[in-house]
Amino acid sequence: MAEPVGIVLVSHSDSLATGLRDMLLQIGAANLPVATAGGTDDGRLGTSYHRIGAAIASVDKGSGVAVLTDLGSAVLTARAVLDDLARTDVILVDSPFVEGAVAAAVIAATGADLATVRSAAEEARDVHKL
Amino acid sequence: MSTSFEASAETEVVLPAHLHARPAGALVQAAAQFSSTMEISYGDKRVNARSVLAVMTLGALAGSTVVLRARGADADEAVKAAAEVLASAE
Repeated sequence: MAEPVGIVLVSHSDSLATGLRDMLLQIGAANLPVATAGGTDDGRLGTSYHRIGAAIASVDKGSGVAVLTDLGSAVLTARAVLDDLARTDVILVDSPFVEGAVAAAVIAATGADLATVRSAAEEARDVHKL
Repeated sequence: MSTSFEASAETEVVLPAHLHARPAGALVQAAAQFSSTMEISYGDKRVNARSVLAVMTLGALAGSTVVLRARGADADEAVKAAAEVLASAE
């Protein structure tokens, strides 16, 4: 089987990103490359161009990388990183952070390709909790 | 209705635990190993067994019965594998 798609979680909060990663690893994605880019370089709430770039590089195994963000500047900073990378197989996913990450990770762990991972995550926009 | 003579299979499972995030994830992993499509239904709700979020929205509780339906060449094996995963969920 090809290497799984990598997942990058970008959040203003390092603990939010790492907590979400812990959830993904328990929900069935234990062997999945999941990296976090939470907070600023000096540990405050915010987002870091450098951390996002490093997280992407760490899970880039050849099958593409899906980047999920919480909101606001996380989206803007991630977009700046992706614009500079200019790769078609490193994509920003437009989904709720938690639900999108769960959907993306579970399907990525089955060996699904990047397009399938993206559509699973984006489906989260239309799935109600109740 | 399908116009081909495609195989299909169906089985019921009594859930030993609530169908929450972890078992839903395990079900998706199991279903994805087969080429057949699979649906899981609970009451009058029926969803794609490969969509972890949709499976969680079923809200299926411990002790209740869900139905797995697969369609495709390996439908039998697919429902068996998925039923085993659900039956051993914690």
